[in-house]
Amino acid sequence: MAFLQAFLNGLLVGGVYALIASGMALIFGVMRLVNFAHGAFLMVGTYLSYYGWTLLGLNPYWAFPLWGAALFALAVGIYWLLVRRVMGANDFLQILLTEGISLTLVGLAQLVFGADYRQINLPIANRITGFGSLHFSVGYILSFAVSLALVIALRQFLAHTEMGRAIRAVAQNRTVAPLMGIRVERVSAITFGLGIACAGVAGALLLPIFWTNPTVGGPYTLKSFVIVVLGGMGSVQGAALGGLLLGVAEQFTAYTWADRYAEVVNFVIFLAVLLFRPQGLFGGKA
Amino acid sequence: MSRLPRWWPTVVFFVALTSFPLWTHDGYLLQLVFRVIVFAVLGMAWNFVGGYAGQLSLGHVAYFGIGAYAMTLSTERIGWNPWLGVVLGALLAGLMALLIGSITFRLRGPYFTLSTIAAAEIIRVLVQNQDELTHGAVGTNAPLLFQAPDLDAKFFFGAMPLLGGAFALATWIHTSRFGYRLRAIRENENTAMAVGVNPARDKLLALLPSAMVTALAGSVYASYFSFVGPDTVLNIEISVQAALIAMLGGAATVWGPILGSIVLTLTAEIFKTYFEHTHLVVYGLLLIVVVVFLPGGVISLFMRRWGFRRRAGPIGAQQ
Repeated sequence: MAFLQAFLNGLLVGGVYALIASGMALIFGVMRLVNFAHGAFLMVGTYLSYYGWTLLGLNPYWAFPLWGAALFALAVGIYWLLVRRVMGANDFLQILLTEGISLTLVGLAQLVFGADYRQINLPIANRITGFGSLHFSVGYILSFAVSLALVIALRQFLAHTEMGRAIRAVAQNRTVAPLMGIRVERVSAITFGLGIACAGVAGALLLPIFWTNPTVGGPYTLKSFVIVVLGGMGSVQGAALGGLLLGVAEQFTAYTWADRYAEVVNFVIFLAVLLFRPQGLFGGKA
Repeated sequence: MSRLPRWWPTVVFFVALTSFPLWTHDGYLLQLVFRVIVFAVLGMAWNFVGGYAGQLSLGHVAYFGIGAYAMTLSTERIGWNPWLGVVLGALLAGLMALLIGSITFRLRGPYFTLSTIAAAEIIRVLVQNQDELTHGAVGTNAPLLFQAPDLDAKFFFGAMPLLGGAFALATWIHTSRFGYRLRAIRENENTAMAVGVNPARDKLLALLPSAMVTALAGSVYASYFSFVGPDTVLNIEISVQAALIAMLGGAATVWGPILGSIVLTLTAEIFKTYFEHTHLVVYGLLLIVVVVFLPGGVISLFMRRWGFRRRAGPIGAQQ
């Protein structure tokens, strides 16, 4: 039974991972950009969620679209100001630029909010529910449900809307897309905004079941890249499955071995997949 | 009229720097210049792999930490002389470089970068959790390589041979055939292979001295601050700092990391007097400015002014 509990806990956490990684997969797939600032934007989302609740009384479980919109705007601004300038450059400069953006955001957060750990106490998130001998925190279930709904919404958006088709066209071929009347710069800006909004919303949803501080995002950048690699580069569905899988793998490591080695398992999976199955676990070609 | 030989600025620089403790006994100034030297060495070591071979490693902190921990633990657990521990650290870092390099260099671009981070993080988590051996997350005191009195001056003189050695190595790489092979790999790995360069071997050969010098810098740094802990000597910030220093001064140049270290250390120091917790903002903004506006680094400004021709363009020039 403890085994089943660990599996289900893993799925619940994995749902949020799926949302974070879908954002990174979108940015990577469309812009060929590895966003080293992904976790830093997630951190910004946790602080919006924190101050929304403590100052304005906005419950993150229904206020998350606001925080998503705020991060979308921030990301589009940063795209026009900075990211645009390295879009044609090699990945060396792109990585350094996004790392620079990440350090700046984390540093600003330390200056403005201080380095303390912060938590909110949301009554609904702390409630426990159960089926038989299985117990779940309602906060985890809510965060999981909202995350998964958003991943599905993102997929539908990409599949069925005009903008979604434009985004997929740019992902397929950056050179030919403009010949079809697609404004690549605009599509890139929107893609960057959407991808980062995913990370920000995930941060807002993590806050009620976790805590935050300015460096909380770091591990998520690496985790979401591990997931993107697991799921096959740049595929949103792959990233969603990879997220669930990583959540389960972490919980199993914690359950069978030790909590503190869960991170090591992530990295070993990452190296192994890159070396032995670079197209990802679910087959999609890079 | 005879012209001065080309190497005179180097001699002037080293003589002036070495005699620095003779002019001042200000502990703060000596400490500041000591940090500039250690981080210049770190940037130079990173430059072998990141600048010349164009492989963006963000995992160099692994070697830095290995150097610091090897010196500390061999002194504390086996009772060795700390200097022997310094040598052990460099050797261990070299071995680890061969192991990590043979895995990570099979990957390219962002995959390589992320795999270097992954390798460094694996080492950090392992060190953090082997409490009996490493003192875990709390860390421990590192042994002193020099004894009082005049600790600051002694450490300063201790760091100078390190800088000299790294400088000599960098000059050799800059002018040797090996250095040209590394640049060929940076510009285009496939083309380099087509003209007979063995990228797998040469990248590993560049990482080996890079890791060993980084380990030496790590031991000296840890001994100066007499502390090792996963959050200090295995913190990923050190990896970013190494890359930033080299890029800021000028990647794939001999003097670049020295300039970069001076600019970075002084900027961070100036801001620190006004605000707490600013170093990350300073690093971040400098990194952004360098990438977007000055991919050739600070040194490219001087080179343009003095009409120097570069041996090879900066990394950003290949687009």
